[in-house]
Amino acid sequence: MKKIHTLCAGLLLALALPGATLATDYTVQPASTLGFTGNFQGASFDGSFKQWHAAISYDPAQLAQSKFDVTVATASVAVNDKDQQGALPGKDFFDVEQYPSAHFVSTGFRNVGGKVVADGRLTLRGVTKPVSLAVDFKSQGKNATLDVDGSLKRLDFGVGGGDYADTSVIGADVKVHAHLVLLAK
Amino acid sequence: MKLRSDDRHWGGIAKSFHWIVALAILGNGVFGLCMDLASNPMQKINWLALHKSIGLTVLALMLLRLAWRWPDGRPRELPAPRWQQWAARTTHALLYLLALAIPVSGWWFNTVTGKPLQFFKLFNLPGLGAKNDALRHFSHAVHEYLFWFLVLVLVGHVGAALKHHVFDGDNVLRRMLPFGKLRNDK
Repeated sequence: MKKIHTLCAGLLLALALPGATLATDYTVQPASTLGFTGNFQGASFDGSFKQWHAAISYDPAQLAQSKFDVTVATASVAVNDKDQQGALPGKDFFDVEQYPSAHFVSTGFRNVGGKVVADGRLTLRGVTKPVSLAVDFKSQGKNATLDVDGSLKRLDFGVGGGDYADTSVIGADVKVHAHLVLLAK
Repeated sequence: MKLRSDDRHWGGIAKSFHWIVALAILGNGVFGLCMDLASNPMQKINWLALHKSIGLTVLALMLLRLAWRWPDGRPRELPAPRWQQWAARTTHALLYLLALAIPVSGWWFNTVTGKPLQFFKLFNLPGLGAKNDALRHFSHAVHEYLFWFLVLVLVGHVGAALKHHVFDGDNVLRRMLPFGKLRNDK
């Protein structure tokens, strides 16, 4: 009897194991980029963050175990325009002195018509709001790329409030896009 | 008031172009010199956007004005010494040239600074080339000094018009005034 118990327990464990398999942990390679596209006076402009850290644990077959955790140094914001570069770190925009970092953490992944969507919470300028990002993951052996795209309402986070709140001059929507080059740990 | 010019009068369309462009370019020039009085950066952004839109309007009006001038013609020149006729023609040519060159130089200045160019929040116009930080100050200086040059030429233009009106008592200014009545003895 005892043998049968052990056998059953072993079989159950074997069945349960795939579900307990962890998603792959990746390290983010230097070629990765994190940027955004805003709109100013009817023209789009691109910006990026030069310093950020992402902890990526992902497996398309193990979405429940996958996780994104990204911390961004707001002071590392970089744009082409001199005036915008002067304004963005300031109090009216990212207020980098008061809020040196922004943070995104995933809360779950969904499969929407064959595409994966990462739901999560973004904390920016001290405000935390739910944000969903489209995920495009490709892997080959230990190498992988992860492209993530989303859209934010800048005023939800108080970015460019006060005098700058006029969305007919500075667009309300800001697209966020990240291209991560990954190597499995 | 007839719309077309004839042998003695400037037509209503030519007069409208003249006075609207005059008001717009002078007003916008003074406005442009006041940009640094904006109380905050967003106000300056909005002021500059308005300045650019008015400047583009001047440019468009000047192109239409030139296009209208050929079919419209102009009243015949009043008798005057040769040097005065030559001075008047040179002044008019310079005014046309400057009314085109000032908006275009502003467009160029906007281009080298890499700023968007939006017409009254309606649509955007492309740059006249590439962004070039090295030309930022130079193109701004060109834009501003062309305006000061316009002011200088205008002193001659307005001075001559007033001289004809006040001292000669002729029709040179009258035929361009919005509701001017010509003196028949001149």
